[in-house]
Amino acid sequence: MSRGFDPLVKQLLDGERTIADLPPELHAEAAEALRLQSAIDRRDVSLSRDLEARVMAAVRARADSPAKRAWRWLVAPSVPRWAIGALAAASLAALLIGRSSSKQTTPPVTASQPAESAYVKFVLYAPGAHRVALAGTFNQWDAGATLLARAGDQGVWTVTVALPIGQHQYAFVVDGRRWVTDPAAPNVDDGFGRRNSIMSVTPTSGPAL
Amino acid sequence: MELKGDPDGVVVRAVLAGEVDQYAVLVRRYQNRYARYAAQLLGSADDAEDAVQDAFVRAYDQLAQCRDPDNFAGWFFLILRNRCFAQRRRFRRESGLDSVPNVPAPDNVEAPLEQAERRKALQEALAILTMEQREVFVLKHVEELSYEEIAARVGTTVAALKMRMHRAYDRLRELLKEMR
Amino acid sequence: MKRLWFALVVASLTPVMLAGQRDVSARLAGHVPPAVVAQVQRLADTAVARGLPVDPLVNKALEGAVKGALPDKIVSAVRAVLQQLDLASDALRPVGVTSANAIEAGAFAIAAGLDSGEVATVARSADRAHPAATALQVVATLVALGVPPGRGVGLVQATIRSGEPLADLVSLPSRLQVAMAGGVPPAAAAEGLERAALNHLTPKAQGHGKGQGNPHRP
Repeated sequence: MSRGFDPLVKQLLDGERTIADLPPELHAEAAEALRLQSAIDRRDVSLSRDLEARVMAAVRARADSPAKRAWRWLVAPSVPRWAIGALAAASLAALLIGRSSSKQTTPPVTASQPAESAYVKFVLYAPGAHRVALAGTFNQWDAGATLLARAGDQGVWTVTVALPIGQHQYAFVVDGRRWVTDPAAPNVDDGFGRRNSIMSVTPTSGPAL
Repeated sequence: MELKGDPDGVVVRAVLAGEVDQYAVLVRRYQNRYARYAAQLLGSADDAEDAVQDAFVRAYDQLAQCRDPDNFAGWFFLILRNRCFAQRRRFRRESGLDSVPNVPAPDNVEAPLEQAERRKALQEALAILTMEQREVFVLKHVEELSYEEIAARVGTTVAALKMRMHRAYDRLRELLKEMR
Repeated sequence: MKRLWFALVVASLTPVMLAGQRDVSARLAGHVPPAVVAQVQRLADTAVARGLPVDPLVNKALEGAVKGALPDKIVSAVRAVLQQLDLASDALRPVGVTSANAIEAGAFAIAAGLDSGEVATVARSADRAHPAATALQVVATLVALGVPPGRGVGLVQATIRSGEPLADLVSLPSRLQVAMAGGVPPAAAAEGLERAALNHLTPKAQGHGKGQGNPHRP
């Protein structure tokens, strides 16, 4: 069984000494150590070019981000058919704030407009409904306080409300029992197993109605 | 938008924000940096490729746990290291034995081996060392890190590393007697 | 003298506090069972003690009632709102933002999916032209539309930093929806809007250089 390297030779290998630091009797052992060192393979290794493609294929397969899920929800056919039609119209109408009053066809429900508020028009396409109400934080979730009126005979219901500046959560109540979110508005968990639509009313530079 | 010039932290945050495709920037940036380390640890470029690929996918899975996105490289290195160690253990279990190198008998009095043969002999001898011994040898003599850098990287002390390394030197000397 | 001053302060506040308390009970009575009224009252007292707005709690209880939720679910939901308000307040106070509007907006942002750190980051970005409450409402809306929180925060920050008017910040959700209607996923749409905002920055206001370190060191 051979001895290991002398501690001084190990320090040589570690780069902490030079051969000149070693006593002559260790020079042969030092030379052996340096031959070992010269045999070290330091050549670069390049992996195949398609490794990136394989990694990205696996990564993309795993990528199922919340953004994707939310997007799928927005475009999913499970959104009720009678609500889908409101998407284009409502996305303009419901999110417009402080627009020209000439576009309004229904009078505001609230008689007086509180300071620091803006009129917002809500639209829902619900041709089979008999009664559509709007309930939210701005009317203490009273499902009887804010009723929508039919606009024409194509199944479109609307109401224009003066909402105070701030963030509001709301939903439509169809026929007194079905809670429906605004398909054109973002929505959040309501804490009760349903979702609420959200509406931000912010101070704008334009004139309030 | 291609983030290929951006620091690791920017790219990591973009990926976490949903820009999955940007992960390719990190793959491209680091796939070969640790290839040599993995190949030396595992004994072959093919095995290294498996380990690096596996490590990148795992790093993606755990990306939200990367506490210092600006040092993705260091974090990725640790994931790769784990993969290499796990792969080696798996190989050992499957083969049942450590691979035995073709090292000439101690009393062989042949002339000094050619450089390529010496290199091969050393590689085979390294394969006999423990993974920990081989790793410290590779990081010090192939990747040319200091003991302090190695200690920081693998999470141990300089003293422990030196002890490991010096045992490795002794073992290598024993295995390579024909090089005298 | 100090004690007198303290007593005066308490005396002047007490009617307000009591009124607030009566208001909670009065608003909930008849809508939710008495036991729920009592529990929500206690939560409202906690909110008042911590300087948090009470309205969100009452609204959540009324919402639960009108939606036919079970009593314990109503209380859980109200408690969750209080926790969100607490978290928002903790995140905003160190940044010097204390208005009820901002706290409510912050709570909403947390409910939408942002964490306290992100709420603080948005609040820190706010300025005179872009109030924190508005910025928080916008980022919460973006997240509700499917934008990842970090990306939403980045977009709001970039928009504020670009010096664009408040209306541009406010219109981010609708601009995002326009892009999404064109088939662009929310994160990519947000990223596009962020780049547009950054393009308005002067070179000085843009980010600084990018270093990578020695590539030969593992």
